[in-house]
Amino acid sequence: MSVCRPARCLFSKGSTTALPKPSSPSSHLRPFSTTPSRPARKRRPHYPSIKASELNLLNTAATSQFPNYTTNETDLLAKRYTPSQIAAIKAAEAAIDPRDILTQGQVRTDPWRLPYKSDLSQIDPVTDHADKLSHHDLPKNRSFRKTNESERDAAITQVANETLAKLYPDGVPEGQLNPTQEKQLQQAMEAALTQAVLDPRATYTSKDPATVATLADPRHSIVLPSLPRLDNKMAKQTRRLADEEQEDPRQKQLLQYLGWDKQNLRGIRTKTLVVHGVTNQTRMGKIRSMYYLTIAGNGDGLLGVGEGKSVEPEEGRKQSVVAAIRSMRPIPRYENRTIYGDLERKVGATKVQLYSRPPGFGLRVQHLIFELARAAGLQDLAARTPRSRNKMNVIKATWEALCNQRLPDEIARARGKKLVDVRKVYYGGSVH
Amino acid sequence: MSLVNLAHVCSHMQNASKARLGLTSIPVSKLHVNLMLGLQKEGFISSVTLGSTTPPKPILLQSQPAPELLEAMADKLESEPWNAYPTPEGAKPPLGGENVYAVAVPENPAKRRLWLGLKYWNNEPVLKHMQLVSKPTRRIWLTSEDLGKITRTRQSSFVKGLTRPGECMFLTTDRGVLEARECVERRIGGMALCRVWG
Repeated sequence: MSVCRPARCLFSKGSTTALPKPSSPSSHLRPFSTTPSRPARKRRPHYPSIKASELNLLNTAATSQFPNYTTNETDLLAKRYTPSQIAAIKAAEAAIDPRDILTQGQVRTDPWRLPYKSDLSQIDPVTDHADKLSHHDLPKNRSFRKTNESERDAAITQVANETLAKLYPDGVPEGQLNPTQEKQLQQAMEAALTQAVLDPRATYTSKDPATVATLADPRHSIVLPSLPRLDNKMAKQTRRLADEEQEDPRQKQLLQYLGWDKQNLRGIRTKTLVVHGVTNQTRMGKIRSMYYLTIAGNGDGLLGVGEGKSVEPEEGRKQSVVAAIRSMRPIPRYENRTIYGDLERKVGATKVQLYSRPPGFGLRVQHLIFELARAAGLQDLAARTPRSRNKMNVIKATWEALCNQRLPDEIARARGKKLVDVRKVYYGGSVH
Repeated sequence: MSLVNLAHVCSHMQNASKARLGLTSIPVSKLHVNLMLGLQKEGFISSVTLGSTTPPKPILLQSQPAPELLEAMADKLESEPWNAYPTPEGAKPPLGGENVYAVAVPENPAKRRLWLGLKYWNNEPVLKHMQLVSKPTRRIWLTSEDLGKITRTRQSSFVKGLTRPGECMFLTTDRGVLEARECVERRIGGMALCRVWG
C-alpha cells in the first residue's frame, strides 16, 4: 500500500471509487495490511494426502498380513484364557491399527531375533526375566561328563540342524536361489552353527536322555540375555560409538591426575567468567594472546578456579578449564546452603566480604560471586566488594575466602572448648 | 582509667600472634589482668603470669615431680579412682600436694609485667584479631537487651553483631570483666571493651 494514496481512498467503500476492487467480493472495505487474508493463504495439510486407491491397497495388505481373530480362534482363546484376559486381548487388538504395524513396524527375520515379540522399549519381567530352574528342580541326581571330539561334532551337527529346522519349518530351500535368499540362508547357517557351539549339549553329554534334555532346556541356563537398552531419548541421541569419540590427551591426563573416570567429569559444571586479550611486547613486535579465567564446580561443595593463556583462543580456554577442574577444593557449607559466619578476604586492592544468611534469602550477590556460589552449591549468601572490583581478583578472593573458612569444631578444639550443636534439638529436629 | 593502654595491648597482641610468638608481655593494670584472665577462660591464651621484665621459666624448665612419684600416683588412681575428686579444704590431698612454681615479682610496680602465653592451632593463631569497641574518646555502655541482640548477630546501639565464627566481646561490668554471652546469661550490662576473634 502506497503512502501517496490519500486516506480518503483508504476508508472509502470499494464500490464508490475507481480503484481496483479487493480480491474477496464479500468484503467491501479495503484491507489495511498487505498480508493476504486467512482464507486466501494457501493451506497445506500436515501430512501428504493418500489417494483412495492407495489407501485401499494398504487396507487389504494390512488385513491379509495381520488379520483379525476369526470365531474359531476366539473360541480356542476362550479355552486357554479367562474372560478378563480375553477382554484385554480384544482391547489390545482394537488399540493397534494393523495399517500402523504394516507401515511403521519392522518385523525381524534375522536368525538372531528374540524368541518373543518386543520393541525393547521396556523391560518386561515375564518375558525378559523368564523363570529359571535350579538344580533343586531336577527329580534326581543326574550325572554328566565332558564330551570328546567326535561326540562334540555330532552334538553340534544335531543342534545346528534343529535350529535350522526352526528357521526353515518347510525345509531348507534347494535348487536355484536368488542372491537375497542365498544370503539369508548363509546367515541362518552361520547363526545355527554359532548357537550350536555355545549350546551346553556341545560341551557336556550323558547316557541318560533326560539329562541331555535338561541341558537343552533354556530354563536351566544361567545365561540371562541382557538387552542393551537406552533409557531416555536424550541418551539415545547423544550416544556415540567408542571409535567416534576423540581422545583428548589433556582430558586423559586430567582424569589420571584426579583418579576419576569420564562419568564423574560429566557432573562438573564449568563457566568461563573472564576473557580478554593480553599483549607481550618483544623486540620482534607485539605478541597477542587470550587470557581466560574459568570456574568449575559440582554444585555440591566443590569449587575450583583456573586460568589459561595462549595465542590460540581455544587452547587457552581448554587450559583454563583443566586448571579449574584440577584446582577444585571442598567448600565447607553450613546446612549445605550457606557459609559458617562472615568471611573477609583481600587479594590485591580487592576486598570481598561474604555474609551468611538465613534459609530462603537467596544469592543476593554480584554476578561473579553468584556464579561461584552457584557452582559451589551455596544458596543463601550476601556479599560486598567495598574496594576494587577487578573481576579476576574478586573471583580469586571469593574462592580463597570460601576455601579457608574456620569451622566451629576447629575453633572449639583450638580453644579447648566443648561444642554442642543444639540447633536441631527442638521442634523434633525439623529446623531447616 | 584510660583506654589508650588497652588499645596498645590489642595492637600488641595482634602483632605478637602475627609474629608467631609463644610468650609476650603487657604492662600490668587491674583491667588488663582481668581482661587477660577472661581471654584465658575463653581459651584464647594459654597462660597469664605476673612477673618481672625477664620472662618466667617455661613449664618445661620448671622442676618436675620425679617419674617414680608420678608412677605411684598413676597406680593409686587406677586402684582408687575416686581420689581424682577434689578434697574438702584443710584435708591433706591423697595424691600429694600440688607443685607450685613461685615466680619472683619485683617490689617496684613499674618493673612488673604480665606475661601471656599465646596459642596456635593448625599453624594458625587462635587469637588473630583484637579490636577496641569503646574508644578512649567514646565509651559505649550496653544493656543486657543490647547484648542479647549483639550475641544473636544483630546490630544494637551502633555495635555490630558477633557474626564471625567464634567471635567474643568482653565488657567491664560491676561484676568484673565478663564475656558478652555471660553478661546475657546473668542479665547485666556494662561498658564494652574489645572484640576478639581468630
